[in-house]
Amino acid sequence: MIRFDQVSKRYEGGHEALSQLTFEVAKGEMAFVTGHSGAGKSTLLKLLALIERPSHGHISLDGQSLTKIGQGGIPKLRRSLGMVFQDHRLLMDRTVFANVELPLVIGGIAPQERGRRVRAALEKVGLLDYERQLPASLSTGEQQRVGIARAIVAKPSVLIADEPTGNLDPQLAVEIMSLFAEFQQIGTTVLIASHDLPLIKRMKKRVVVLDHGRLVADVAAEEVL
Amino acid sequence: MTASNEAAVQAPARSERSHRRPVASWREHHGWSASASLRRLGAKPVGSLLTIAVMGLALALPLAFYLLLSNVQSLGDALGRNQVINVFLKTDQVASNAQLLAKQIEQHDGVASVTVKTPQQGMEELSKMQGFSDSLHALDDNPLPYVLEVQPQDGISADTVSHLIDDLRSMQGVDMVQDSGAWRQRLDALLDVGDRAVLILAAMFALAVLLVVGNTVRVDITSRAEEIGVLKLIGASRAFVRRPYLYAGIWYGLFSGLLAVGLALAIELALAEPVARLSQVYEGKLHVGGLPPWLLLAVPVAAAFLGWLGARLVSAWQLRRAA
Repeated sequence: MIRFDQVSKRYEGGHEALSQLTFEVAKGEMAFVTGHSGAGKSTLLKLLALIERPSHGHISLDGQSLTKIGQGGIPKLRRSLGMVFQDHRLLMDRTVFANVELPLVIGGIAPQERGRRVRAALEKVGLLDYERQLPASLSTGEQQRVGIARAIVAKPSVLIADEPTGNLDPQLAVEIMSLFAEFQQIGTTVLIASHDLPLIKRMKKRVVVLDHGRLVADVAAEEVL
Repeated sequence: MTASNEAAVQAPARSERSHRRPVASWREHHGWSASASLRRLGAKPVGSLLTIAVMGLALALPLAFYLLLSNVQSLGDALGRNQVINVFLKTDQVASNAQLLAKQIEQHDGVASVTVKTPQQGMEELSKMQGFSDSLHALDDNPLPYVLEVQPQDGISADTVSHLIDDLRSMQGVDMVQDSGAWRQRLDALLDVGDRAVLILAAMFALAVLLVVGNTVRVDITSRAEEIGVLKLIGASRAFVRRPYLYAGIWYGLFSGLLAVGLALAIELALAEPVARLSQVYEGKLHVGGLPPWLLLAVPVAAAFLGWLGARLVSAWQLRRAA
């Protein structure tokens, strides 16, 4: 479960990205965070991954307080998260297989098990035949799917994605979102920041709406039109 | 999707590492880092080879100097290590005087032995020397004096030898004292200077290796800032991020150490033939001093350590800046 309790974030210079934000995402739930540019969507995800620290308030993940985690504990927290980025953040000089394998190498998983898990993740995103290719030889949509395979390969309990369909055409965007929905169905908590309202409506999942860092609407899945 | 593959991506599992033996996990991390750093070196062969060549040459220089010194020492040994002081008596001194003086000198501190050489023995030695034989036949009388060959004790200081020579010069009946070991003392002193120079050179070039590796790793970390950022985002610890750079330092050091040893062996090989010819001149008494096996092993190991140290110092600083 993800829990934000009265969380505010003020950057150096005085800009308040989030203000008194309180909401929860239940274990195994999929939710979208949306809002216009600068609403605080990315900051929210950064706080969850401890890329940024909150100025005020309390954040917890599966009962663990993130506020109390020191610098040394950040890698362990991030290993429990799967992160997908708009710009994929792939290592372009490594093959698709090596990119997806990285979280397992970091996690100290044995090579044989790594191979099995990487191929399973690549099969899940439909890229099993691309494992020996370099990311640069793939299309943007395929690169994003490699990013998703990397995010899920270590079987994280929480998957967070920042504008994962930002650079994709509508058809590909639906495919990617459907993948996230599949992970939710197998028990993974999924939180996606996106400003693509038509796509969000189509997915019929919970939607948290931010405006200037404040929560202005929290729409349950069944209420999404 | 197969059933096993489906299971592989299902069911969140957060602490698999804790179920595995820490040693196996540690070994896999190191194995991965070692091979990844080796691949990175191979990915830019020209740059890597140039770095290794510069470091190898820097390490080979003190080795070559060491090789040269050990051979000069060997040459000195072949020419004679014993320091003999020749005491030439006045020509009016007879055999009994020579024997008496020899006994007196034997009692002196620092003297190991005294040998009396008669004028006849001196004449025989001279006649064996090329070019002297004919001219000696022309002499009516033997003009040579009695000579006392004084052998100082092993390991006595230069000061003691100097005092001994002064005492010998002041003895009655002594015409001249010749210290035939002075050249050896001078050579030993020069070799001592050379030994010290080798140590200083080795220390300076070790520092150069440290700086070369450090700068190479610094540039590598700077060029891989994006990769480091990604690794940190997906949960890599600082130690994990840093490890490939430490291994890169070890590889640079190890390969340059091996290159230095190879160069030193090549120098040794190149010197072998002229030294063999020189040895023949000294009736085989000159033995070519090669690099000892322990040094051949120690140089790559020490260079690998230096590489690791340089990488460790710089990566700690550079990664802290990148954080």
